[in-house]
Amino acid sequence: MSAQIPISTFKPYRGEKARLARAYDYLILVLALFLFIGSFHLHFALTVGDWDFWVDWKDRQWWPLVTPLIGITFPAAVQAVLWDKFRLPLGATLCVAALLLGTWVTRVFAYHYWNFFPINMVLPATMVPGALVLDTLLMLTNSLTITSIFGGGAFALLFYPTNWPIFGMFHQAVDYHNSQLSVADVFGFQYIRTGMPEYLRIIERGTLRTYGQYATPLSAFCSALLCSLMYPLWWKIGKLFADTRYLKRI
Amino acid sequence: MATTTEHVSLSTEKPKSLPWYLLDLPKYLKGFGLLAVIYISLRLYQGAFAIEHGLDSSEPAFEQYWMRLFYIELAVLAAVVSGFWGYLWTTRDRNLDQLAPKEEIRRYFTLTMWISIYTFAVYWAGSYFAEQDNSWHQVAIRDTPFTANHIIEFYFNFPLYVILGGCAWLYARTRLPLYAKGISLPLTLAVFGPFMILVSVGFNEWGHTFWFREEFFAAPIHWGFVIGVWFALGVGGILLQGVTRLIELMEKIEDAE
Repeated sequence: MSAQIPISTFKPYRGEKARLARAYDYLILVLALFLFIGSFHLHFALTVGDWDFWVDWKDRQWWPLVTPLIGITFPAAVQAVLWDKFRLPLGATLCVAALLLGTWVTRVFAYHYWNFFPINMVLPATMVPGALVLDTLLMLTNSLTITSIFGGGAFALLFYPTNWPIFGMFHQAVDYHNSQLSVADVFGFQYIRTGMPEYLRIIERGTLRTYGQYATPLSAFCSALLCSLMYPLWWKIGKLFADTRYLKRI
Repeated sequence: MATTTEHVSLSTEKPKSLPWYLLDLPKYLKGFGLLAVIYISLRLYQGAFAIEHGLDSSEPAFEQYWMRLFYIELAVLAAVVSGFWGYLWTTRDRNLDQLAPKEEIRRYFTLTMWISIYTFAVYWAGSYFAEQDNSWHQVAIRDTPFTANHIIEFYFNFPLYVILGGCAWLYARTRLPLYAKGISLPLTLAVFGPFMILVSVGFNEWGHTFWFREEFFAAPIHWGFVIGVWFALGVGGILLQGVTRLIELMEKIEDAE
């Protein structure tokens, strides 16, 4: 047994029925806001959180690769329901905005006010521009294939340049005890983290450093390829969870 | 002060009552308020006593300030689960086949409010206090599974959202015909999947007995939590089930201005 929406009933409501439908919308909005802050944030923090928490983890190799790759998961799953069933082109933006809200509240009250990390050390990255492109592409093309290839790619490729205005200043080179470091590295040395030994903190590997300025674009294009594959996978996962069956027993 | 005709007309006006489908709105808002007060109070308690008495679990003050809080939490949770689940079960509707469409619509609104309260608890457990765990364990060496943040996150927040999710599931099962006739797959996924996050605490803490110094949030010992939270996506299916039934029920009632 599964739910089927009768097509003949799609007509605008008036009077009390319209108010009832609107009240239901508002209830769902509140529900969805906290649902996506809570669930997407936990998923994100426990998979790529370390790169998002700390300014000295925002490197050229892993951060532009893994953050969009995990960041595109819930947006794809939610789009699969909101676009396919309700024609609402905002699934990705809703998820990413909810995530950003949750991370900002935590960075301010859990990191800065409780444990006195400077807020500049724990600024969250943004994926809002990529999410807007993803939603817009899906709305304009109504195609899972085109959105996967071009939307998924754009989501990854936009990540680094749209975060550069926020984090670029922390890449400023400084001389520190006769060693060349970045401002972000100095944050890491000044504010000791008890659970982060050096072999975790210095996350860039040596070999790709010989590629010089090409490390970041290479990571971004690699992420674009993986996001193009991750997007349809999570669209299917979203469909799978949005099952409407009633079972006889579990 | 002189009484004017304007004042008389105002004082004799009937207070505006809520529409029939939002009768449970005040309880919903009070539930939101109560939860917010509880969570903010716990955070303020951490701010007041974590640095001073929460860094070394072998100190007597740790027992006094933190383990005592843990035992109080367990008592509160036991009272909440038996109270809410017991109430929902013992007051179940035994005549669901005679339910009027308007009453069924009202109950769908109330179910949505229950799920909303559940997701509010998921927010505090999955977002705020979860990431706060990383912040705390970067300033304190963890020497116990009962740290100043775990006592709130693992042993209060996780069970509380499980209890509230169970309330939503029980409310649907005992008061709505479609949920009584069959077991809703998405509602069950959305409640039982995140329940597995609580179970994953065992795996997580077992892992930390090996690497107590490393606080790498993306470590595989945390992925049990990640898989559990994917099931929250079942809410999409609940929404589809609810909207479908509401459309059917709206056809059965007369419209009013």
